[in-house]
Amino acid sequence: MTTTTEAISITGLSKSFGGAKALDGLDLTVTAGEVHGFLGPNGSGKTTTIRVLLGLLRPDAGQVRMLGGDPWRDADALHRRLAYVPGDVTLWPGITGGEIIDLLGRMRGGLDRRRRDELLERFDLDPRKKARTYSKGNRQKVALIAGLASSAELLLLDEPTSGLDPLMESVFQQCIQEVKLQGRTVLLSSHILAEVEALCDRVSIIRLGRTVESGTLTDLRHLTRTSIAVETVQPLTGIEALSGVHDVLVEDHHARFDVDTAQLDTIVRRLAPLGVRSLTSTPPTLEELFLRHYDAEPTPGGTVAS
Amino acid sequence: MTGTAGLLRFMLRRERAGLPWWLLGATLLVLVQSAQSQNLYDSPEALQRLRQTIGSNTAVIAMSGPTRLLESIGGEVVFEIFAFVAIVVALMSMFLVGRHTRAEEETGRAELIRSARVGRQAPLAAALALAGLANLAVGALVFAVAAGTGLPVGGSALFGAATAAVGITFAACTAVAAQVFSNARAVYGAVGVVLGAAYVLRAAGDVGSGALSWASPIGWGQRAFPYTGDRWWALLLPLGASALLVTAAVAMLRRRDFGAGLVPPRPGRARASRSLRNAYALAWRLQRGSLAGWAVGLGLLGVAYGSIADSIEQYVRENPQVAEFLPGGAADIVNAYLALTVGMSALIATAYGVTSALRIRAEETSGRAEPVLATATSRLTWLVSHLSVALTGSALCLLAFGVGEGTAYGLTVSDAGQVPRLTGVALTYLPAVWLIIALVVLALGWAPRPSPAVGWVAVGYCAVVTLFADSFKLPEWVQRASPFAHTPRVPLVDLALTPLLVIILLAAAAMGAGYAGLRRRDVGY
Repeated sequence: MTTTTEAISITGLSKSFGGAKALDGLDLTVTAGEVHGFLGPNGSGKTTTIRVLLGLLRPDAGQVRMLGGDPWRDADALHRRLAYVPGDVTLWPGITGGEIIDLLGRMRGGLDRRRRDELLERFDLDPRKKARTYSKGNRQKVALIAGLASSAELLLLDEPTSGLDPLMESVFQQCIQEVKLQGRTVLLSSHILAEVEALCDRVSIIRLGRTVESGTLTDLRHLTRTSIAVETVQPLTGIEALSGVHDVLVEDHHARFDVDTAQLDTIVRRLAPLGVRSLTSTPPTLEELFLRHYDAEPTPGGTVAS
Repeated sequence: MTGTAGLLRFMLRRERAGLPWWLLGATLLVLVQSAQSQNLYDSPEALQRLRQTIGSNTAVIAMSGPTRLLESIGGEVVFEIFAFVAIVVALMSMFLVGRHTRAEEETGRAELIRSARVGRQAPLAAALALAGLANLAVGALVFAVAAGTGLPVGGSALFGAATAAVGITFAACTAVAAQVFSNARAVYGAVGVVLGAAYVLRAAGDVGSGALSWASPIGWGQRAFPYTGDRWWALLLPLGASALLVTAAVAMLRRRDFGAGLVPPRPGRARASRSLRNAYALAWRLQRGSLAGWAVGLGLLGVAYGSIADSIEQYVRENPQVAEFLPGGAADIVNAYLALTVGMSALIATAYGVTSALRIRAEETSGRAEPVLATATSRLTWLVSHLSVALTGSALCLLAFGVGEGTAYGLTVSDAGQVPRLTGVALTYLPAVWLIIALVVLALGWAPRPSPAVGWVAVGYCAVVTLFADSFKLPEWVQRASPFAHTPRVPLVDLALTPLLVIILLAAAAMGAGYAGLRRRDVGY
């Protein structure tokens, strides 16, 4: 039995389609009340994970618990408590956006009519148009409004803002902030780093169907390297030998190197006695953080405790 | 116009799997009719008797064409089959033009093409050229088959040309509709209405003074009178009309924006009605249009068959060879005829049931099932919601046919009791229809990918066994695999309930097993 503070807990989840392994021992823990960023390159298994959580796919191996139930066995009961926004929204061409929003809400067990109208206004969507005439962005809005107008305690969002313009992106972020204030839980799969940084309490990065990192953004930053450029009075020697220092370029009194952010303090102490003339330190950008994880070979057991 | 030739080659490539079937269908209709008619009316006396029987039967004239065609055996073939070949050719032309113009624009694929070195009119020009080629092929095939079965060469050439002319007219008509409406469904709907009107106008004209037939593209073809008058000049009408329509289409195309139509899409409801609240309401909403189409079509077919039931008896007495085609022989002619027509309508109702059941798979593969199954809707509810349309809808189709045939037949023999009688007769086939639907459900559960193939092979198999078992002398066990072979051929024989109950139980078991498979498999793959 999972504790009630865990909205989602997945351990060792595997899923293959024919010969292709989509998930290969994935772990994911989402605490109740948090907004959890779910990141990974295309084809890394994010959508497959969400489909397992929706009970559409049956896991080959591993433990999956969601809202205290089994997503496969208890699908119908659990679905009353969650809302889902797919990344690639296909709608019934002959039905209007307004009708689809109402229908999906009713099938989930009711929707807040005032909130629905308010969201239509905020997302600037004409609900009277038939779905066949909507652009990709507008189809996305239909699915988003249907999901956000619910009072579900868990929101599963699979790249929900792909196709939205920056204005709508900021409306979306406000909406998620409100959801967060209401104490609801969000699993947000996303590629938009600014969005993740603005919204997420914690993130999990997956690659090739496996979790490579998980923790708060601060935790993750800590795991990466800071770039240092330094000029000293005395010649720089022995820098390479220090632990946590990488890619060193020394030229008499000048040096450029990367340092594990966790070792930054030690290194600065070592530099100080040499007489620092100038020092620039560039913290890792989120892009670097993610690119490093997207590119790198998956490291077994690379998960950080939070 | 730049790029037309390249586009035409591309379209031909895309149509290589579908187009041959249309050509084959049109050719077979003419082939079978020509062989059958020449076999049945092998003497001038037989043809003379036919003229007397049919000349007074307005229902047959309304269904077929002007009686002047009955003056020669070739004309008789045209009389019987031209309207149906015309419908096939018109539909072929409509889909060819619609699919490569408006449907391409609607899906956005045309945008990619137009961004290349392709002129504004090129897709329309290529689609019309494609339809033109297809119709020339139909014309050549009709000529070859008609002349090849021994009909006069000159008349056969006009027969082929008249057939092609109808197709070209409807291709041009579709070209206009594709500029007016901004979605392909509306285009097909509009052309379908024109086609229906063309059939009704010529029916009214042929029964009456003939004036109205001149307002119908099908009438133009028939009134060229192949084999009996050989009026080639009548084909100037479809050619002139096509030229006018294409000119109008091009004029509209040059004025309109890409993706837009002349008729802006109407706004719909901002809120769902109170009834659109669950998976059942959704399934019925999605399928109601197509169900209505099938049911109305079968109802009209019932009226057509029912209206000539009474004259069948007299007809067969004068043409004893016809009796060989009826299951009960000459002894019980009307009932044999009714049993045969109801059996055919049941096959059509089965085809409807299979298309409806396959919507379940289409919803799944298109990704539209996913948001529904992510709500509190269970897989069982989702399956049953669509299945309820297939099962009830196929019953409605049979009902429509039975009521149509019963009403038309009842009117001709002044017996209102024919309506409930023939409705009951039609519904006898319901268990067999349901068993084929159940087979599709079984496939959906355990072998979803080949489920369309499973459904259509089953329909085709039943059709072959029902229609050709006797003429092909198929072995007994081949026939017995079809549920239709176990359905009592009422009203020719007495109703036996046991086989029907067994079929229903089998259907229920197959549907249950199908659900068991669906419950344990991945959805969306």
